[in-house]
Amino acid sequence: MRSRGVDPAHPGGGALVRLFHVSKSYLAGSWALRDVSVELGKGEFVFLTGPSGAGKTTLMKLVFAAERPSEGQIIVLGRNVGRLGPSGIPALRRRIGVVFQDFKLLPRRTVEENVALALEVLGTPRRQVRSKVFGMLKRVGLQHRRFHHPLSLSGGEQQRLAIARALVNEPEILLADEPTGNLDAELTLEIMDLLVSAATRGTAVFVATHDAVLIERYGKRTVRLEDGRIVEDNPGARGLP
Amino acid sequence: MTRLGARLRYFLRTALHGLRGSPMTSVIAVVTIGVTLLLVGAFVLLVSNMERLLDRFGEDILVSAYLEADLSGEARRVLVERVQSAPGVEFVRLVTEEEAMQRFREGSAGQASLLEGLDENPLPASLEITLASESRSSEGLATLVAALEGLGGIDELGYGTEWVEGYARAMSLIRAIGTGIGVVLALATLLIVSNTIRLAVYARREEIEILRLVGAGRSFVSVPFLVEGCIQGSLGGVFAVALLYGFFRLLLPGLEGGLELLLGFAKPVFVGAEVVLALIVAGAALGTLGSGLALVEGSET
Repeated sequence: MRSRGVDPAHPGGGALVRLFHVSKSYLAGSWALRDVSVELGKGEFVFLTGPSGAGKTTLMKLVFAAERPSEGQIIVLGRNVGRLGPSGIPALRRRIGVVFQDFKLLPRRTVEENVALALEVLGTPRRQVRSKVFGMLKRVGLQHRRFHHPLSLSGGEQQRLAIARALVNEPEILLADEPTGNLDAELTLEIMDLLVSAATRGTAVFVATHDAVLIERYGKRTVRLEDGRIVEDNPGARGLP
Repeated sequence: MTRLGARLRYFLRTALHGLRGSPMTSVIAVVTIGVTLLLVGAFVLLVSNMERLLDRFGEDILVSAYLEADLSGEARRVLVERVQSAPGVEFVRLVTEEEAMQRFREGSAGQASLLEGLDENPLPASLEITLASESRSSEGLATLVAALEGLGGIDELGYGTEWVEGYARAMSLIRAIGTGIGVVLALATLLIVSNTIRLAVYARREEIEILRLVGAGRSFVSVPFLVEGCIQGSLGGVFAVALLYGFFRLLLPGLEGGLELLLGFAKPVFVGAEVVLALIVAGAALGTLGSGLALVEGSET
């Protein structure tokens, strides 16, 4: 159950991500985000939608501390992101899985090594890394490609690889920026099911998309951004499909 | 422990990955370190051989202690032992009156008339004292002279201060020039190496960015580069030693002939095991330090 609004007695409350009147400006006088307040609870699945340049990517970058807010507070996993020190940022990121729009895969490492990276930064023993990586690659249907390099994969395969890397360490928060942008209809549903199942395991999932059909189909809570402001926060028709 | 083990394995694996992933950059780094260390090594080889040469001259530095005339054989023997244990003494040799006369005769051949009319040998017995190499300075000499003057049975001391001072000055000059050139070469190597490795870091800035995005801390990102630099540096050190030895063997025959002609002796020797080890360790240190510098600069931009 999610609580809306800010409870002053419990800042951050049960929410894993809480943005409180957050604004972000890259250039003086122009705002990428303007006075955004939103919360994301454990196991919650939220679509983030809106036209290109509305601030979806900026919002995600703020959550995993790739950017600092110009105004307002962001509490992620109980930490104030605006005040994280140099060692606090990596520690936070290790608890967040991110699927980047441009995948950000390491071209010189194999599929297997790319996924293993997310576990290796945690210092996971090799044997565990192997079995977890294999299980994860199986879930995204890439186990037969595990010794290939990312550049020899199709766009859809690279996308699934990026998702596998984001999910393999069972993050508390998953941020996915247009994760189905390069996929055909059938694969899109497979990937979406994967993301939804992560939410049912307790991960808070933020999916940025402008695929209205997808949003309609899953009927999840949808936050709509326009010109950096939240113009709609629709709780969605259904809880889980 | 398993976490640490996993991490160490990751560092080594990633470093080797990096070396294999960009073989050209690695080869350039190894050759660069190797060639610069070769210069350092050649210089050390030269200086150590010059020192050896000077050392040979230094053996000629003698202190002569002329003995009192009425000293018995037993007293002489005791004196030799006491001088032997004085500070800075390498070797003591007793020259008897007869030997002194013999030498005088040999030295003044053709002037035998000088000795005519002498019914007894006027030359005293003496001790010829060779200085240990670390005492071949005016201070060392002064210490020894003071110690000898405290001993009974010695009538007079003879020694050449100028010789000693000249020797000490030549020696310290060579060492100072050696240290100076060594430091300059090491700095130049460091700059060249850090530049070479900076290229490697620059070529992999995307990889570094991705590592940071998945939550890699500072050490997780930088240690593989440091290990890579360390491996390249060690290989560079080995390369330098191999080249140095190759050149030494190649040039030795010509060098030997020339030196023998010039000085009448001297057989150049290769640097010792400790210098070989030092060159490899210096390579490893330079490689690691160069990587560190490149990373610091990389993270500033």
